[in-house]
Amino acid sequence: MLRDHLDRDLADLPPEGRWRAWICRIEAVLFASAGPVSRADLARVVGQGISIDLLIADLAVDLAERPYEVARVGDGWMLRTKAAYAPAIHAAADAGGQDLDLREFDFAVLATIAWHQPITLAELKEIFGREVGRDLISRLHARDLIATGPRAPRRGAPYTFVTTETFLAAFDLQSLADLPDPEQLADAGMAPDARP
Amino acid sequence: MVKSAVWKYRDGMISTHPALETFPAAWPQIPDWARPSRDPNPEDWACFAGAAFAYLDVALRAPGVPLALLRDRLALRAAVACTALTGRPESAGALRDAVHLRCPGDSAGPAGETYLQWRRAVARPVSCAALHAVLPGHDLADVTRWRAAGAGEGMPVARAVAVLEAVLSEAPRAETDALILAEAALVDALGWPRITPVLTPGLAPRDLRRTGADLWLACHRAIVAAAGEAVQLVSDLSRRGERLRAAAPCLRARGAEEAVETILRQDAVTPGALSVLRSDRAARRFCDRLVALGVVRELTGRDTSRLYGI
Repeated sequence: MLRDHLDRDLADLPPEGRWRAWICRIEAVLFASAGPVSRADLARVVGQGISIDLLIADLAVDLAERPYEVARVGDGWMLRTKAAYAPAIHAAADAGGQDLDLREFDFAVLATIAWHQPITLAELKEIFGREVGRDLISRLHARDLIATGPRAPRRGAPYTFVTTETFLAAFDLQSLADLPDPEQLADAGMAPDARP
Repeated sequence: MVKSAVWKYRDGMISTHPALETFPAAWPQIPDWARPSRDPNPEDWACFAGAAFAYLDVALRAPGVPLALLRDRLALRAAVACTALTGRPESAGALRDAVHLRCPGDSAGPAGETYLQWRRAVARPVSCAALHAVLPGHDLADVTRWRAAGAGEGMPVARAVAVLEAVLSEAPRAETDALILAEAALVDALGWPRITPVLTPGLAPRDLRRTGADLWLACHRAIVAAAGEAVQLVSDLSRRGERLRAAAPCLRARGAEEAVETILRQDAVTPGALSVLRSDRAARRFCDRLVALGVVRELTGRDTSRLYGI
């Protein structure tokens, strides 16, 4: 309800004050959100037709001296602490809930899903030469790293798996195009085969 | 002349009138002089592109062309090109599967999302607001500015190139978005109401890394190739559409008319999408019947999860 009564245009403020107020609003929204906030959502708290990119750029300048930064994730942004402060956070803060807490094989499966998505359980089994357990898949699901994609055109129409925005945020990728190139991997001697 | 086609339906055997095999006659194609020779001069490409546009313009204005279906199929070709640009291996079939076999609310996967974006782009008349709706990664102000880069005087291809350069200089990773905006600039210049991808399907993955005169040349080459194929596609789809319409009177299923119209609007349909036929089973039988009549093709070659289109 509050959203409906929000004064977006702030017509009573002078131009600089208005701009500053919009930057503060965006920082507040990002601060209060656990995950990335989309451009469309941010556009709802500032004046009509105002460039979110410019506001974000100014916010990034404001935050240059702070231990946290604004990071682009997919079509949105999030606030996160800078990597340099990771040891300090691990030493003192209770960040256990945010830890991905995945095993080595989980990461391997997650990476395979990222490159080969959309991919079914049967195809994962073919790649790894062993059964990929449903509990592993549900672990990835529970952390919102993967989601269900289109049904595969095979007997039984099994679900496929795709990665999510949270996956991009967790591994500091702006988009899937940031994944290492298959050619680079081939040069490094770990080529993923072309999909069947 | 359509109605004169004689359909026999006897003992479950179906035969088509011999005239239908070739009906209607093929359309005239782009003449040889307007096709690129082995090693044309750079300036000749402008002439080839102009000839291709003129032919396509006439073809698109002909009566009875299933335009929505044409745009959907060109959107698929554009999406395949964009998928290749980002280094992904998906084929047209994989993109179709991703979009049509997706349950509501599920993701279509990265390649499928690209196809969905193109489908949304070609579905509505071109305007800044409509384009902004299909380009969620950018501000309306940016979209308006990029559109302005392709407005004004100049030939269609030059305007599209101007838009491509404007977008890619600011957002080098937004290749698909840049191409959607470039296609919009093209149809603005050509006076067509909706995006009809005739540039993107012809581009090779490395073409977008070019600039200046190289990009200009690459875009001309792409358009000459893609527009030539589009003329062929208009001709094919019109003929197949006519044949499907001619077969419609002998379909007695309830809702058959609406189902035929749905097939004539989309690149591919699942039987499940033909809900006007009231049940999945009825829809599958209906599609099989159309295939048996030779007016619709099964596009995947599979026994299950089939997709149909003309």
